[in-house]
Amino acid sequence: MQKTDTIAAVATAQGQGGIGVVRISGPASAAFAAEVLGKLPEPRRATYTGFLDENREAIDQGIAIFFPAPNSFTGEDVLELQGHGGPAVLQLILQRCLNLGARLAEPGEFTRRAFLNDKLDLAQAESVADLISATTAEAARSAMRSLQGEFSEEIHALLESLVKLRMLVEAMLDFPEEEIDEADTDLCRSGLQALRENLQNTLKAAKQGSLLRNGAHIALLGRPNVGKSSLLNRLSGIEVALVSDVPGTTRDVIREAIQIRGIPLHIMDTAGLRESGDEIENMGMERTRQAAEKADLILLLVDASNGRMLEDEEIISGLPRDIPHLLVYNKADLLGKDVKRGSGIYVSAKSGEGMEELREEILRMIGWRHQEGGAFIARQRHLAALNETMSHVDRAFDALQNPELLAEELRLAQQALNSITGRFSSDDLLGEIFSHFCIGK
Amino acid sequence: MKFPDVFDVIVVGGGHAGTEAALASARAGCRTLLLSHNIETLGQMSCNPSIGGIGKGHLVKEVDALGGAMARATDEGGIQFRTLNASKGYAVRATRAQADRVLYKQAIRTMLENQPNLWLFQQAVDDLMLEQDRVSGVVTQLGLRFHSRAVVLTAGTFLAGLIHVGQSNYQAGRAGDPPALSLAHRLRELKLPVGRLKTGTPPRIDGRTIDYSILKIQPGDDPVPVFSFMGNASRHPRQLPCWITETSERTHEIIRKGLDRSPLFTGVIEGIGPRYCPSIEDKITRFADKGSHQIFLEPEGLTTHEVYPNGISTSLPFDVQLDLVRSIRGMENAHILRPGYAIEYDYFNPCGLKSSLETKAIRGLFFAGQINGTTGYEEAAAQGLLAGLNAALQVREMEAWCPRRDEAYLGVLVDDLITQGVSEPYRMFTSRAEYRLQLREDNADLRLTEIGRRLGVVDDERWTVFNKKRDAIAAEKERLKSTWVNPRIVSKDDAERVLGKNIEREYSLYDLLLRPNVNYADLMTLPGAGRPLEDQKVSEQVEIQAKYQGYIERQNAEVKSGEYNESLKLPLDMDYRDVRGLSIEVQQKLNLNKPETVGQASRISGITPAAISLLLVHLKRGFRDAKAAD
Repeated sequence: MQKTDTIAAVATAQGQGGIGVVRISGPASAAFAAEVLGKLPEPRRATYTGFLDENREAIDQGIAIFFPAPNSFTGEDVLELQGHGGPAVLQLILQRCLNLGARLAEPGEFTRRAFLNDKLDLAQAESVADLISATTAEAARSAMRSLQGEFSEEIHALLESLVKLRMLVEAMLDFPEEEIDEADTDLCRSGLQALRENLQNTLKAAKQGSLLRNGAHIALLGRPNVGKSSLLNRLSGIEVALVSDVPGTTRDVIREAIQIRGIPLHIMDTAGLRESGDEIENMGMERTRQAAEKADLILLLVDASNGRMLEDEEIISGLPRDIPHLLVYNKADLLGKDVKRGSGIYVSAKSGEGMEELREEILRMIGWRHQEGGAFIARQRHLAALNETMSHVDRAFDALQNPELLAEELRLAQQALNSITGRFSSDDLLGEIFSHFCIGK
Repeated sequence: MKFPDVFDVIVVGGGHAGTEAALASARAGCRTLLLSHNIETLGQMSCNPSIGGIGKGHLVKEVDALGGAMARATDEGGIQFRTLNASKGYAVRATRAQADRVLYKQAIRTMLENQPNLWLFQQAVDDLMLEQDRVSGVVTQLGLRFHSRAVVLTAGTFLAGLIHVGQSNYQAGRAGDPPALSLAHRLRELKLPVGRLKTGTPPRIDGRTIDYSILKIQPGDDPVPVFSFMGNASRHPRQLPCWITETSERTHEIIRKGLDRSPLFTGVIEGIGPRYCPSIEDKITRFADKGSHQIFLEPEGLTTHEVYPNGISTSLPFDVQLDLVRSIRGMENAHILRPGYAIEYDYFNPCGLKSSLETKAIRGLFFAGQINGTTGYEEAAAQGLLAGLNAALQVREMEAWCPRRDEAYLGVLVDDLITQGVSEPYRMFTSRAEYRLQLREDNADLRLTEIGRRLGVVDDERWTVFNKKRDAIAAEKERLKSTWVNPRIVSKDDAERVLGKNIEREYSLYDLLLRPNVNYADLMTLPGAGRPLEDQKVSEQVEIQAKYQGYIERQNAEVKSGEYNESLKLPLDMDYRDVRGLSIEVQQKLNLNKPETVGQASRISGITPAAISLLLVHLKRGFRDAKAAD
């Protein structure tokens, strides 16, 4: 069997799903188990356990199964971590493995390893090639998609400053007898600083996809007794808020984390907004306003059977202007079919009517674009590459006094970036040098 | 006539590639014949009179570590030695020497004539003899048929060579030598993938007509560097300085006015020239805003006044050459001894070669040097040595050898050539080597001499010297690792002087040497450190190995991760259209290139990791089918 590194990836289909699996394959699998689970589970036994982060705090609870080589899918040591699903949590588990030294698996790589280790029969093997080309094409498509717009601009700015710096340093090393403005330490340092700044910007841009990881905050607002808590219950599927007919039942901000299509949403169910002499309720309403100001999206709930009332208009005019809001008419089941409906979403928290439409609209408004699963992987790959680039740029600062070590760190930085931008060969680099400097005695 | 003696290996061409090839083949124990159209020009430096430089010096040291001739000949003929990049790090440090053409040629000739197993013969080669797809010898101009089991072709710029000076051009191998027309014609008939390249050379100046008094002097280094691991500065001849001058606006004006008669700019020259060694007309056109360009005036030797003005290679008409030379400071009254010229010549796409430098199309036929699209004496010598060695190994029915990219610049050179092909004359730069930190001049012997010994090209004398050095390094490293110092024996003052800060616990000397700012010589002054080594080559090696340990380990891990693909062989008769899932573009590239290993395939441009996966799956399926058929 060939000597390999250890790879990891989310093995289940992306998106919603009850259980998600992170699969790890390779010689370090057992070592990872010790780190993530605190112990090595008994071979081939499903073990219910916590998945721990660096600080030994639980990321999630789930099932871990360890398959020692050669009796595993790939023929190598394999560790499977079954979490509660949702890209956000799986992402954290995967990231934990990558931090421990795993490499993000290439498309089809588990299957390829299985095949190379004689774990697939001939009939299965026939389809492996097709699988690799299909998943690769898909990954390429999603990589293309995520390399558009702002992210792409950032990446290219980054590449440009990296290539420029490498050009200066390499020209200094390979052409000492030419009249090249020496890439002195100050020049290199300022180049590195510019590079690091670009890199930080790029990482910021890349993290715009971090909705998946961090989710969005949504404030649920409305007059008392329009059914905010019922709607929250309907959205989350569990009884979290106290429901009653008495206005003002919710006096505090209730926070609930729910998921729509695997995107974590932190919903703040608030005290009904209305002028009130009740001091306790007043405090609740103050918190409500604060919550609204921190939200990414405000859901303003209106009683459909009453239509928009003066009090609703007052609330609308008092909303923070820079935060998008969505008008939601609850109790739509009480409306006759022929009643004219205004703009906004009509739902019934009681019957479930309109809920699907509401979920879609929430996702749209927080900026989530529906994408195929591959986009997620591609973005993760980019983040990993950018972080590695950053680590070499940091080390390059330490090597400023030694040009050849500086050059080595820059080479490795670019090698890390190549996974996003494509191959940049030494000949391309020489091309840059020759077009910028008059070389040749 | 059929020549009565049969040879193992015939080397065609007596330049830097040919001479190293012939010497290596003979050292490896094969009966070798070196055929040259003119024995007087064996080891001739056709272009500038210098050897080495960044990347190139590295190659020369590697050739030397494998028992080659170039470094030793340079030590005997070198009239100025310098170490370039001395302050920029061990790996990019490189030796460069100006050589006396006559002394250099003489040194090479002496080695050739005294090499056992090697015969010289003066005849131009017109034709190759083939038996099916295998070479069986060569036919010379007189119709002499020489039979051999392998042939190494090192034709330089002679294949259909065409010299340009202004708008006149004529066929030649280099100025003063006839081209190899019949052989070029014959090779084209064999349907090998041929192309045209161009290179150039400046007009040569009579040193008596140069006013050195107003020029900047560039002396050699003191102490004088040495090229060969077996060399000694006491063998160097008398040393001379070089001189530096520069072009002026007036020079550029003269050139611009002559461009309408430049073969380069009027489209007469079709071959592609190197970007890093452009002609002066190219330089002032592409970098029009640059007010002047440096010119290095390099002495051609101790017994001649001829001077090589490095930096004004040109194919402009002679009247323009004369004007432009005389517009340069210090050369106002210069006399040109030989006009500059450009030369176009045939080369063969090196993608058609195995890593042994044997052609994939014809068994037993090896190519080395400019015929493969490279430029430079050093690149030629390195290939020559490899081709000669592999020809000999083939005759002796041993497996071919080529160093890996992490073992030698020679490995980088060959791998680049056969996986990337060339689009301009290929020259070595250190930036081409991803494992640059381990491919240093100082450790070329440690990287290669042992292998060379095993393959039969390293003689006893070199082997003895090498063993002594290697063992001394190992012993000293061991001593440093087992010698401990502690705060009780090292005073605070001593620690701060040597280490920059106090030590708080016991350390081995080796651990201390790993620190960035600690050097061997200072370390040895600590109480209890023992006696420093006298041989600086050895202590330097110990120090470098310690300093770069972290980097080298990381690079080794990188190398290791690729080992599987590098060792996985691909059949040369494989049809990549049969590989399921490969795109048509990738199929075509692989079918054109026919890589020898999966590792080579992965370095061909446009071959993606996914394509490599598909290839692995295909190979695996092949093995299974074969197993099933058993």
